[in-house]
Amino acid sequence: MKDLKHLYEFENLLQEANNALVQEAKAQGKLALGYTCYHVPEVLLNCPGCFSVRLRAPRTGSLDIATYYMSNFLCGYSKALLERAIEGGYNFLDALLGSETCSEMNRALEHFELLHLVDNPNFFVSFMDVPFKIEPHTVKHYVKQAKDKIIHPLSEKYNVDFSDEALLKAVAEHNEVCRLMTEIGSYRKEENPRITGYEYHVLNLITYCCPKSLILDKLRETAEELKTREPDEKKNYRAKIVVVGSEMDDPEFTKLIEESGALVVADRFCFGSIPGREEIHIDPNEDILTQICKHYMVTSQCPRYMSHEKVQERRDTVRRLVKEYHADGVLYEQIKFCEYWGYERALASHIMNDEYGVPSASVDRQYTASSSGQLRTRVQAFVESLEIKKIAKAREANVHAQG
Amino acid sequence: MKYFGGCDVGSTYTKCVILDENGKMVAAVTNRSKINPVQSAQIALDDAIAQVDDLHSAKDLSYLIGTGYGRNKVPFAEENISEISCHAMGVHVTNPEVKAIIDIGGQDVKGISIDTDGTVKNFAMNDKCAAGTGRFYEAMANAFEMSLPEFSKLSLSAKNTIPITAQCTVFAESEVISLVGEGKPMDEIAAGIQLAVAKRCFVMAKKAGATDSITLTGGCAKNEGLKQAIEKVLKIKVVELSTDPQLMGALGAAEYARQKGMAKAG
Repeated sequence: MKDLKHLYEFENLLQEANNALVQEAKAQGKLALGYTCYHVPEVLLNCPGCFSVRLRAPRTGSLDIATYYMSNFLCGYSKALLERAIEGGYNFLDALLGSETCSEMNRALEHFELLHLVDNPNFFVSFMDVPFKIEPHTVKHYVKQAKDKIIHPLSEKYNVDFSDEALLKAVAEHNEVCRLMTEIGSYRKEENPRITGYEYHVLNLITYCCPKSLILDKLRETAEELKTREPDEKKNYRAKIVVVGSEMDDPEFTKLIEESGALVVADRFCFGSIPGREEIHIDPNEDILTQICKHYMVTSQCPRYMSHEKVQERRDTVRRLVKEYHADGVLYEQIKFCEYWGYERALASHIMNDEYGVPSASVDRQYTASSSGQLRTRVQAFVESLEIKKIAKAREANVHAQG
Repeated sequence: MKYFGGCDVGSTYTKCVILDENGKMVAAVTNRSKINPVQSAQIALDDAIAQVDDLHSAKDLSYLIGTGYGRNKVPFAEENISEISCHAMGVHVTNPEVKAIIDIGGQDVKGISIDTDGTVKNFAMNDKCAAGTGRFYEAMANAFEMSLPEFSKLSLSAKNTIPITAQCTVFAESEVISLVGEGKPMDEIAAGIQLAVAKRCFVMAKKAGATDSITLTGGCAKNEGLKQAIEKVLKIKVVELSTDPQLMGALGAAEYARQKGMAKAG
């Protein structure tokens, strides 16, 4: 396939948290607001005068110092962020908005405060509490937390405007990004998709890590370019898979999967687009902030929700994605020591196989996994088993047709 | 006559098998791997080809498949297949009754369950460290100042087992040196090492869904002490293969090459 015009530029932007577009927005006087979790409503961090940056630690090396402050048995993502902060990689931030959704990440973010890791006198860290259930009173609590932990501190410290007009403006921009990503993502449902999982992963990460106003033009252009893009006649994959799991901001992981013979057609992981790139529908007759908060609670697929309906919904979603995106199987991935996905992966990968008849494999991985030869072997073996099952199914269908 | 090759470039040994079109093994080679996988594969292929009068170079093979960690570095290979699939196929053609494998290679341990057609039903892999792998055994044999074959038989004479707590290769080596220093019987320490590895294999086998009729493949399959320890923890008899278990990956690759090559030729 012909290379996407902006792909190389996007890949370069992902090499640093403080990338060229972040620097450009900062130079325009905008506030850089860091966050790490879906439960911190991204759209609130994109009100006029601000932009959100979902934190990554690209090109992570040794995690020794973070391990000293935390421990060996905590997730590599939280440690990588702490290590990068200690290295001075997030000095561009004006605030860091955390959520009490994951104790490991909480510990990492606490260290931003305790060790005064961001060299900015106005910098602050705030944590919001997120309920475990979706009930009218918990939504109310979540909205109050958004006010107390995001809106008030940002208004008081930086005079950020969170009026209804400002919120609607942020929602409109967010929705345009989502519309474009949904349009681009829909090509992954094609029989021979015109976009690879790696390309989509890069594009989607850009929407999380760069100021939206500065990428919209390029996203629009990419969506336009894809309308006429011709996929290679000879398919470059042997099976299509849905990737499901914990935090994953390393497109090299998707590349590794695709180099092993699979095409990633749906991304149901943290930092992915399902959920993440759904439009927020606002009813003008209802409270805007409540609707925004509710959107994040309802769409979340995080295994921190342990109620029966949410557990079942997560499994049904994966099964639906397999069908919708014509996938041959599911790869459950979990960053090592992720508490929530540890349970989810162990159970759901078996349920997919044994109860839903959806072939699945599961892997645990380090924060950066691209160089792992063993991981490559595991993914390749899974792809081979999917391919063989496909051949056997076709053979069976042929026998039935003949006889 | 057409010939088909499988080349398994492992982290410690490179194996090569050539089959004729009837599936008969006409050449088999096991060499210590070089640092360069291309070189390892080339030497193993040359050695195997030298065993077949009709063949003069790897180009004469009708179909060649690479497997093992260096699978994509095998010169002239038509394609590569993961060692997990190849071990399953290799065991299946050797003994179709076997339903599960514990493959202990140089740098990982795998549990594999096999479907009725020789394909992989399920697998589990210990790939985070060298604990319980061929590298681990090399370190242990070094600590005992023995060769690997000597060390593999040492535990057979043990009347008791001294448990080894460390699984990490580096820490286990220190623990073994301390135990030897304390004057503990060497064979009982060795039995403890075998038991520790067998327990790790137990986990992999169970994770892969192995229930009965299991065999060992990879270089460590020749370790008699380990085989006995595995039988003890799994409470089933390990099936002995009629072909060298270290060759199973290469044999599986060659069998896949035979099937694909014959299908291609129509």
